[in-house]
Amino acid sequence: MAQARTQSRGDVREARIGSGARVRGRIHGDGALLVEGRVEGDVVIVGDLTIAAGANVESDTVEADSVTIAGTLEGEVIAKGPVRLVAGAHVRGNLRGSAVSIEEGVRFAGRLDCEFDLPPELSGAAHAEERGRAGARR
Amino acid sequence: MASTVIGAGITIEGEITTDEDVVVAGTVRGKVTAKEAVTIEPGAVVEADVAGSSLAIAGSLTGNVTAVERVDLQSGSRVIGNVKAARVTIADGAQFKGNVDMDV
Repeated sequence: MAQARTQSRGDVREARIGSGARVRGRIHGDGALLVEGRVEGDVVIVGDLTIAAGANVESDTVEADSVTIAGTLEGEVIAKGPVRLVAGAHVRGNLRGSAVSIEEGVRFAGRLDCEFDLPPELSGAAHAEERGRAGARR
Repeated sequence: MASTVIGAGITIEGEITTDEDVVVAGTVRGKVTAKEAVTIEPGAVVEADVAGSSLAIAGSLTGNVTAVERVDLQSGSRVIGNVKAARVTIADGAQFKGNVDMDV
């Protein structure tokens, strides 16, 4: 069996929860996180979060710069950047991000909270204009 | 390449359980249980009971340590707690306070 030995790897900024691993508790801090295993608890990181296919995350809140999900997630996602749901993902919870993309083959239940410009026919400005015109006609 | 890596900026408050090996370069408070090797890198802060097949410690650890095979307290490490393993080494430059149980 391989003997454990510390290697001078420099500054390890990346974190990974391996496929055979299970974390119960809170994960927070700086750096990217890749989850291949199971996490039960909140994740709050400054960095990109990836939930790989086969991974399982159950938490109240997941906060990260960008979030990519190919596995299973139950919980609210709050991202500064984009949220990507990749084919095969199974997500239950609300998503907030600068952009949200959901591929074909994703199962998703929840609310999307994402800021973008509405097309003119739906935006408030067009409504106001229409109302203005209607008022003029009267 | 380790299967589970806790990077230098990351803190885990809770329990880590794995069939594979673990490298800690960040902070862990709680408990670490691995079926394979556990490595605590220089600069890591672990306040947890740690169990694994073999343990290499170069960072700071407060808690009890149990290994099936061996525990190596490397130079620069700081360990407060009891160590239980069949083979234990304490390198020159390691700081250690606690009991050693080699199961004799």
